[in-house]
Amino acid sequence: MAVVWEQLEQYQPTVMKMLAKSIEKGRVAHAYLFEGQRGTGKKEVSLLFAKSLFCLNRKGYQPCHECRNCRRIDSGNHPDVHVIEPDGQSIKKGQIEALQEEFSKTGVESNQKLYIVEHADKMTTNAANSLLKFLEEPHPGTTAILLTEQYHRMLSTIISRCQVLSFQPLPPTVLATYLQEQQIPPHLALLAAHVTNNREEALELSRDDWFAQARKIVLQLYEALNKSDLRALFIIQQQWIPHFQEKQQADLGLDLLLYIYKDMMYIQLGELEKVIYRDRMNDLQQWAMACSQKRIIENMSIILQAKARLNTNMNVHLLMEQLILNLKEGRAFV
Amino acid sequence: MKIVIERDALVQSVQDVMKAVSSRTTIPILTGIKIVATQQGVTLTGSDSDISIESFIPAEEEEKIIVDVVQPGSVVLQARFFSEIVKKLPQPTVEIEVQSQFLTFIRSGKAEFSLNGLDPEEYPRLPQIEEENVFKLPTDLLKNMIRQTVFAVSTSETRPILTGVNWRVENGELICTATDSHRLALRKAKIETESEQSYNVVIPGKSLNELSKILDDSNELVDIVITANQVLFKTKHLLFFSRLLDGNYPDTSRLIPTDSKTDVVVNTKEFLQVIDRASLLAREGRNNVVKLTTLQDGMIEISSISPEIGKVTEEIQSESIEGEELKISFSAKYMIDALKALDGTEIKISFTGAMRPFLLRPLHDDSMLQLILPVRTY
Repeated sequence: MAVVWEQLEQYQPTVMKMLAKSIEKGRVAHAYLFEGQRGTGKKEVSLLFAKSLFCLNRKGYQPCHECRNCRRIDSGNHPDVHVIEPDGQSIKKGQIEALQEEFSKTGVESNQKLYIVEHADKMTTNAANSLLKFLEEPHPGTTAILLTEQYHRMLSTIISRCQVLSFQPLPPTVLATYLQEQQIPPHLALLAAHVTNNREEALELSRDDWFAQARKIVLQLYEALNKSDLRALFIIQQQWIPHFQEKQQADLGLDLLLYIYKDMMYIQLGELEKVIYRDRMNDLQQWAMACSQKRIIENMSIILQAKARLNTNMNVHLLMEQLILNLKEGRAFV
Repeated sequence: MKIVIERDALVQSVQDVMKAVSSRTTIPILTGIKIVATQQGVTLTGSDSDISIESFIPAEEEEKIIVDVVQPGSVVLQARFFSEIVKKLPQPTVEIEVQSQFLTFIRSGKAEFSLNGLDPEEYPRLPQIEEENVFKLPTDLLKNMIRQTVFAVSTSETRPILTGVNWRVENGELICTATDSHRLALRKAKIETESEQSYNVVIPGKSLNELSKILDDSNELVDIVITANQVLFKTKHLLFFSRLLDGNYPDTSRLIPTDSKTDVVVNTKEFLQVIDRASLLAREGRNNVVKLTTLQDGMIEISSISPEIGKVTEEIQSESIEGEELKISFSAKYMIDALKALDGTEIKISFTGAMRPFLLRPLHDDSMLQLILPVRTY
């Protein structure tokens, strides 16, 4: 179903207001950079914005969602709207070159052209530099929208040529309340709300058995870590690896583990209302007592490091074993 | 939509429009062929967004009914399957019927296919033709003009505008120019037109190559319409649309020298063969360079040296040499391309010094010329 302007305005009031004004005043920038966490509605906003620009009977700044152009943007069939997605791990130079070739020609139907680059941070350096040339000398009537979840990975030369719009993440508690209204048990709702920012995705995730199982394994792993024996390594071997097979899943698993340490931190700081694993409050309080604040911070940074390594194609099994050893600082084996 | 159509006419039309359909496209709807049925006949459209081909099958031709339109309408069908299906149908008539949700039945004899169609509203809209701004050219002349210019377009994407051929319409004349900044090809022709409108557009070289393949070798007139975004070539039942290149074409008129210091007239065919032989060795070298030297009594020496391989020299008798003596080097490939493009048994080559571009044109014909930049050698 198509998203309407009002719906997105609830989540992203500032961004939507800026875009609305720029259309009303006829001052659309030649390039935008939409920056914000996963699930903050960047893609939806960019498509809605494209519809507003191309719509045949626009009311004010809102598209009609019914004319040929609106419908074709929805189905991905508009010949003057181009969406570039990473081809595998990254956006290749060839993709940007094809885009440039496309834009050296006149529009198919109108003089207006628009391109959306998803995950713009995943451009190879070559691709980014090709695009740069393109952003420097914009053709009249051409609009670029770059989407990224990792603003700091973008080339500063690209950022400086775009109007940057920051998408605010939804407060997790709001999302969790919504999930609970949808009959999701509270302990899962809160966790899902932290993992993603998108309503539909959170709902889907918390209805998935896989997610509940993942939570169980993570908690088990932590319990094993706390005891000074080798059980943690067995859990990795027998449960973690078969369960978190995809890279994305492994990333999520590490997130879940990170939240345990985060909770312990909050308990030590006395901010109990921010704790995510509330149903295990008693255990968490015990664990928090047994650990120094410095250790928790160290362990959190070890997990974050492991998350970064995951992106550089490290073997997941080795990565997890290294993580366990680091978290225990080799204490169990001396 | 429901039509009954002659299979052979349909197959021919589908084959024509298939030339524009590309298998690798980012826009899903363009994998299809659009079929529109009206009381006048059936129109098929294929496109890869750069070029679009429209083929029209009239309902009736020469007292013979080709299409029986039972119910007008339109649909988009997957090109790959549709073209294979119509080619292999058993009977000489085909019935095509579209039901709800664009489910399409294709029946011939006892065979029945059903294909899932797509919404024709999703298909890109081609520009409307305005009949008043039309100019006309005979098909064979148009093909020749394309052949004589399109080879000189640039293949590098660094300056996209040079990958196209510049078409200018002024004072009842069409001037086509192509250059890759090392050589230039220019061709002029008178056109038939009623409007005084002048145009200056750049048509992608690839599109012109495709167009050339589709046109047959008759001397029937082709209607040409230039709009803001597209150019349209219209033959009897075929419409060929191409997008244009965006941007300003460099001013090439000042590049062409008006005076000359040395004029050489040679027989085209002989000269071409001599250059071809000389380039046999040069081809292996770095940039395929041959050297031309004027000698006494109207003789010309063509030579080429590749130090690792060997060298070649050949003398050729020219028709006439006027002006200063000259030694000049140039790319054999560019010279061969240019000589092949020029018509006429004798050509005149006008040099203005060893470091300046030189001109080739047929002896008694002003409508075409080729310009080549020499290569600096020491």
